[in-house]
Amino acid sequence: MADVLANYRPGAAFDEMMDVDGEVRPSYRALHATLDRSSPAELKTIAESLANNYVQAGVTFDIGGVERPFPLDLVPRVIAAPEWETIEAGVAQRVRALEAFLADVYSDARVIADGVIPGQLITSSNHFHRAVWGVQPGNGVRIHVAGVDLIRTPEGDVRVLEDNVRVPSGVSYVMTNRSAMITALPDAFAAQRIRPVASYPQRLLAALRLAATPTVDNPTVVVLTPGVYNSAYFEHTLLARTMGVELVEGRDLECRRGKVFMRTTGGLQRVDVIYRRIDDEYIDPVHFRSDSMLGVPGLVNAVRTGGVVLANAIGNGVADDKLIYTYVPDLIRYYLGEQPVIANVDTWRLEEDDAREEVLDRLDELVVKPVDGSGGKGIVIGPRATKEELDALRARVTADPRGWIAQPVVQLSTVPTLIDDQLAPRHVDLRPFAVNSGDEVWVLPGGLTRVALPEGELVVNSSQGGGSKDTWVLSPPAHRPSVTLAEEEPAPVPAEPQAEEVPVRPTGAPLAARPAVLMTPKVIQRHQEEQQQQSGRAGGGDAPC
Amino acid sequence: MLSRIAESMFWIGRYVERAEDTSRLLQTHLRLITEDTSSETEACRTLLALMSVDHVEHPTHEDLVRVLGYDGKEPTSIFACWAAARDNARRAREVIPLDLWECINTTWHQLPTGRFRTSRVHTFLDWAQERSALFTGIARGTMVRDDGWEFMMLGRSLEQVDMTSRLVASASLRTGSTQWPSVLRGCGGHDAFLRTYRGLQTDREAAQFLISDVRFPRSLMHGLVAASDCLRRLSTVNGQAARQSEFPARALGQLRARLEYADVGELLENLGDEMTWVQEVAAQVTAAVANNYFVAEDPTAWITEGTR
Repeated sequence: MADVLANYRPGAAFDEMMDVDGEVRPSYRALHATLDRSSPAELKTIAESLANNYVQAGVTFDIGGVERPFPLDLVPRVIAAPEWETIEAGVAQRVRALEAFLADVYSDARVIADGVIPGQLITSSNHFHRAVWGVQPGNGVRIHVAGVDLIRTPEGDVRVLEDNVRVPSGVSYVMTNRSAMITALPDAFAAQRIRPVASYPQRLLAALRLAATPTVDNPTVVVLTPGVYNSAYFEHTLLARTMGVELVEGRDLECRRGKVFMRTTGGLQRVDVIYRRIDDEYIDPVHFRSDSMLGVPGLVNAVRTGGVVLANAIGNGVADDKLIYTYVPDLIRYYLGEQPVIANVDTWRLEEDDAREEVLDRLDELVVKPVDGSGGKGIVIGPRATKEELDALRARVTADPRGWIAQPVVQLSTVPTLIDDQLAPRHVDLRPFAVNSGDEVWVLPGGLTRVALPEGELVVNSSQGGGSKDTWVLSPPAHRPSVTLAEEEPAPVPAEPQAEEVPVRPTGAPLAARPAVLMTPKVIQRHQEEQQQQSGRAGGGDAPC
Repeated sequence: MLSRIAESMFWIGRYVERAEDTSRLLQTHLRLITEDTSSETEACRTLLALMSVDHVEHPTHEDLVRVLGYDGKEPTSIFACWAAARDNARRAREVIPLDLWECINTTWHQLPTGRFRTSRVHTFLDWAQERSALFTGIARGTMVRDDGWEFMMLGRSLEQVDMTSRLVASASLRTGSTQWPSVLRGCGGHDAFLRTYRGLQTDREAAQFLISDVRFPRSLMHGLVAASDCLRRLSTVNGQAARQSEFPARALGQLRARLEYADVGELLENLGDEMTWVQEVAAQVTAAVANNYFVAEDPTAWITEGTR
């Protein structure tokens, strides 16, 4: 029944499942076997139930205010244990370096004085906000949550495509994808040990509580959303729900004398930490866009006076500016004294004259990106662009070289993906999520694998109609737990009751052998007696056996 | 609890109850219409007037089903109720149990997207009642009895009072021997009524049953008591809330006293007016609850904020 995989042929890109000789890679063997046993009809049924499941549960992504179910492909991306260790180390390293960088640029800016990065680069970033210069957040953390986009090149190397340290989204799909897949492909889960992802909310809540101003005893944490029309609204509700905290909109909050309160049925209640999912520009009409209806007037002031802590901090955008990105390997060496674990994708800085000249000559073969864009907006892929588009791009780059970077077109690696009723290779990237508690940077095992559904398409962004895959990080054999289903790592929330305490199964006689003492309480006995008496009368005195 | 969320919970309770009651009302009416001798237009117009709909000229059977049933553009329709309930539930997503959310969301997805033939009307109405019953059952089985629950039940109780009063009023609009049994059936209370009054029933007893029998869960009295209980429990949370619930509690108490001690004959004579009064009290209480608990933001609050 090898129907679905019989014609599977990877293209020029690195295929995550199959090597160039057509051999299945070791990490994919169990999954391959499961898929190999399935008929196209079975896969289609699974895919339909996955889609149905998401529609009913309202797992959606809003595009232009319209809710759409977030497409989940049934073939997961599998990452072997040793490879994950590298990714984990690399992601954590970048977060530590960017954290040090942000602390530096919003205070002494040694990095400029020491000539590692041109000062003009920072001051010219649209996301460098003087309003928060000198502000020391609660426990010093500015990047509470980071999402680092990774890709795999045709040579098989993992590279960093970009850092997201403002309001990275997608982690909710990591959690919902997993719970959907457990019901969709139970065999594949049984065949190997896959590291769980469900502890993310506890980790995040613990980090957010630690982020509060030290004088606050039992900090109140809220999630701030722009509202139901935001593309990631589903995610905001899921995070608030799974952390058990309030999901607030700007209009629910009020700043008074440098402190922030939420309007409750019992009056105003103090808020200490805000996990905000609103961009800097909209967060406070007093300091930023005065026409913003989403933010809270006075919030920046409250942050400056230490009345509230924002996670992530205001002004982080200067660290994920794509031009700063080109300096991150230098920043890692400068702040941490380490070599980068994961390399960047080769990038031209267009404000350097030689680089710009070369890029402008080769526009038709490169990818050009705006430095402060997100969600795939404004990206021009040279080989796909028309002459008019390239001319327009050339003019824009020449007018504002600071605003753009260029990269070679990388053929992202592929994973089998269900297209109609066949599996075909489709390009993927990976966004692992890191939570920084101040004491450690924890990387969620897995992350969001985004997949471009049209053949050959390289842009995987959700806002561009991409889909997703569950990401399985395999446990190293030594860590393999024998029977427990509980979380492998207890969440470090102090003095909070653990949600899932499974009672220990009693040893001794197996359950089936125990007398069924609960089966016949007195009431039922009486009921049975009555029935017997009645049937006795009706049956004309049949003698009991 | 966040004021905005409390408001959403209140309205989820109301809308789901309204969807159910509208469906009951419509079903009752469609049954009565087959036995009625007056003109179809007249009967439809009276029912629409009862539901505060006055923009349909010469309404027919089909208009009735459209306006109260499946037309998403009509604010009184069952469709609109579920759409509004879902909208509110989406905003209050973090406080609603997953099962309950899925129930609301699935119902919303299953709503008919276009007109359907009259033959399907009863299937649709049965479905609508089942979905509300499912919602109520899941809510009872999964929700913590916190403020969110109380606000939802408060909304539900007030809506039930309002809608039962409309149903009672509809029975008084026509003459004939079959209307009260039909109304009782519409409330799902016919059997209960027969058992309570042992076959000695008259219109008078039926009205009394629907208005003041606190044991029947769709009676006005039951709803009023339930709403008062919700307000009392909400007021025990803190002193501020105790003051907040003063007016609504008083208004509900006065109405209860009136209905409990009024002479049934008198009530029946002016049933229309009496029921209109019930609806007015329900509206006043809603306004007071909104004003007290769901405070609108104070647009000038931040102006006092210096940038020092």
